[in-house]
Amino acid sequence: MPTLTIDNQTVIVAEGGSVLDAAIALGIVVPHYCYHPALGAVGACRQCAVTILEGSQKGLKMACLIPAEDDMQVSTCEEEAVAFRAQVGEWLMTNHPHDCPVCDEGGECQLQEMTIGAGHGIRRYRGNKRTYLNQDLGPFVAQEMNRCIQCYRCVRTYKDYCGGEDFGVMGSQQRVFFGRFKDGPLESDFSGNLIDFCPTGVFTDRTNRFRTRSWDLQQAPSICPHCSLGCSILPGGRYQELQRVRAGGNRLTNDSFICDRARFGSDWNNHPKRPREARISGEKVEFPYALELLEERLEKLVEEYGGETLRLLGSPRASFEANLLLKKLAEKYGAPAPYYDAHPRRAFAARMAASIPSGQLASLKQLRESDLILLVGVDPLAEAPVLALALRQAARAGARIVALDPRPLELPCDFEHHPLTQESLLRGLSAPEENELLESLRQQLETSQRPVLVGGGELLGGEGLRLLLHFSESCCGSHDCLIFPVLHGPNSFGGGILGATGDSNRNLIEDLENGNVRALICVETDPAIEHSEPGRMQLALSRLELLAVFDHLPTNTVATADIFLPTRTIYECAGTFINNEGRMQAFDPVLEPGIPIVVTGSGGHPPRQFETTPPGSAPRSAVHLLQWLLKDRNDLFGLRRQIIKELPCLRDLDRLAAGDNGRRIADCGDTLEESRTEIWAQEGELQVLPITARYGSDLYSRWSQSLTSRFEEPSVWIHPVEAAERGFVNGQKVVLRTVVGHFHLPLVFKAKMARGRLIVPCLPGTPLEVFTPGGLSLPCKIYSEVDNA
Amino acid sequence: MKKLLLKKEIDAFRKKAQKLEHPREMVIDLLRAIQDHFGWVPDAGVELAADILGVPPIEVEEVATFYDKIYRQKVGRYPIHICDSICCWIRGGEEIAAHLQQQLGIKLGQTTSDGLFTLLPTCCLGGCGRAPSIMVGKRFYGHLTCDGLDQIIAQLREEAVG
Repeated sequence: MPTLTIDNQTVIVAEGGSVLDAAIALGIVVPHYCYHPALGAVGACRQCAVTILEGSQKGLKMACLIPAEDDMQVSTCEEEAVAFRAQVGEWLMTNHPHDCPVCDEGGECQLQEMTIGAGHGIRRYRGNKRTYLNQDLGPFVAQEMNRCIQCYRCVRTYKDYCGGEDFGVMGSQQRVFFGRFKDGPLESDFSGNLIDFCPTGVFTDRTNRFRTRSWDLQQAPSICPHCSLGCSILPGGRYQELQRVRAGGNRLTNDSFICDRARFGSDWNNHPKRPREARISGEKVEFPYALELLEERLEKLVEEYGGETLRLLGSPRASFEANLLLKKLAEKYGAPAPYYDAHPRRAFAARMAASIPSGQLASLKQLRESDLILLVGVDPLAEAPVLALALRQAARAGARIVALDPRPLELPCDFEHHPLTQESLLRGLSAPEENELLESLRQQLETSQRPVLVGGGELLGGEGLRLLLHFSESCCGSHDCLIFPVLHGPNSFGGGILGATGDSNRNLIEDLENGNVRALICVETDPAIEHSEPGRMQLALSRLELLAVFDHLPTNTVATADIFLPTRTIYECAGTFINNEGRMQAFDPVLEPGIPIVVTGSGGHPPRQFETTPPGSAPRSAVHLLQWLLKDRNDLFGLRRQIIKELPCLRDLDRLAAGDNGRRIADCGDTLEESRTEIWAQEGELQVLPITARYGSDLYSRWSQSLTSRFEEPSVWIHPVEAAERGFVNGQKVVLRTVVGHFHLPLVFKAKMARGRLIVPCLPGTPLEVFTPGGLSLPCKIYSEVDNA
Repeated sequence: MKKLLLKKEIDAFRKKAQKLEHPREMVIDLLRAIQDHFGWVPDAGVELAADILGVPPIEVEEVATFYDKIYRQKVGRYPIHICDSICCWIRGGEEIAAHLQQQLGIKLGQTTSDGLFTLLPTCCLGGCGRAPSIMVGKRFYGHLTCDGLDQIIAQLREEAVG
């Protein structure tokens, strides 16, 4: 670790660090553009000049390119370097338009800050500036090329880091242009990172144009709720409207990158139909009245019929604190332990993941550093997009990526794909030594240095994850083979920890159908969407005496609830999520709940009403509601201290702060001995597998209006050979018959998928929304529309 | 309508691309071939090249727009590159450029109305020892004088008629 001196201050930097890293560590501002911690240095902008007084390379040098050395003496104040930086600043600014007052980047623009930092203030150049025609890059990213300073960060982000193939740099000299071959939406699922990485206003957020200055935004560090990875994000809003999401920085998880689903899928928070008032049988009532009525009815029910007639359902969307309080509520009323996912197979997968010893779980950082990654039953771009970015970084560093999955996988890097059906995958894992492919992979995993197994909880289920854990243990020779489970929601893992102590063979729907259950409380979940048989679940819910729902999404179950209490979203309250690798991460509130002023004022000044609270501010956090029912007066910190006492494996919970790197849970102790019998269909029978679509399958994207442009058209996928055997052609309209209904769909050929299976992506707002991913494949029949008639 | 490339040429390029470890190394050859055939490289030419090489069109476009001898806009039958660099300036390059513009009645970057000539400044043609110089298509002319230029233009006009 080299120790060097910059401007008479001594600093130690990590091996391989540059002089610029050392200056940044000391808080000395050396202006720079092309260097970014996640992208590295290229020395393209020439802005970070410093003088090396002592060291192997003396004189005026680019700080980002000179490795830090022991006993190096560096000065940032030498006259020559100061003049050099000012001149480079002036030169980079010659073509830059003075449009900061109308530029969305204004106020958080690195170019503004660094130009001032470089000492350039007054423009001398009076000539014409170079101008461009901008491209239409789709609904997410707006381009304004005149502002470009040619630092090349955008191509390095989009192409090199994220693996996008439709963006590049064209022309030469004064004509350099960063964009697409032709106008059109950016194709990468990570296109929004251009906005964060461009040091000036060339690429800005098109969904949030001309709305808010950065200094007017309310911001707070938070965690992305779209998948189980728990990427750190920095949402911002104003006037009770959530306006944008930027990537946070957590080098252990997402580094500085997020996917487009995270960035542009946040307006569900402002959804016009979001329920903001308490309701009893659909009628709006005062919040305290509804809460008191709920308590009264619960007490009466428990008194008359006993606690066994009450069921509680938590959710992977709700914070860990809320889910834990739900467990206490169950204890208070003598009800059975709560369910934490309405989907029994997903719930089991979460319990299984939570039982993997903490030391065997990989983080995204470890994934990026791995040399052999085996993906088993996981589609990163659909289930956990930032995982695909981590795979790309591993591949760029020379790792081999092997995927076993029935879906026609796409990844932003080279990989080896074996399209096995879900059933043959599970069967293979149950006896890996008899499977040639798995046996050869096992040997390769044994000989690699830092292998990681990535298992998709959705396709494999808990049973599959258990088999994968055994498989990984059989590969552990001299070193560990880490596991990276991919789960359903941001707090699935937390639900898994809490659910581990319950009776594992229960099934919510069978429970409800038994007839003994009279009341159900759902916390931030809609069992009718989440369960694998929505129709059956709806029927079961309608038979209940009391259905109480706490939620913030306009779901059908909210509309049919007997007692409904609106909750705050993760952007409106504090809490903790536990991500798929057991990392506890805290989030802070960004906004107060309320109807956005842009809605109440319909564009102008909001109406002058004499009320003490803003319209739509009734929602309380789920934690608050449950604490009220429990008469628990702890604040969040007290609550966390209490949790630690009961669950020692979460001992670092009270040391969390939103925006930090999060803390891993410690080992929870016993490994789960649970097992569920699954009947895996035979090869040869045609079955249909419902899968997660890249956009729309998770509940938050479903209600994000800005993502709708990315939703696919409904279709059913088939392997071309399979289709040829049955005499189908590509694009033909077919009828798909399954237990959940008949569907008229176009048939789409996918050459890279498994044979013997049909695949349907689950898409909201289409007939396919009745399918729920996460189950086994279903028996089906397929006809051409003509034959069917 | 002229074709971008003949079918047999396309087939030959495809065959060659299959044998190469990095087919993209053929990108200049391919763009040149399209240009020789079609006169310049339209968008469809970039897309054809990308298809033959198996790379996204933007990667071909990056190369095509970098080099000024690949024409991404329609040019005259004889594109004239006038060297616009120090050695030629010293030896009267600017007079040559002015003379050419006057004789042809067009400015730099324009094409004559008969579609014969396009004037393009280039830095540099690498013929410093024979400055001032121009390049017409792939033919290089050095040690130029205004009279010499008139002869070259007259010759080219004759060639075009013949």
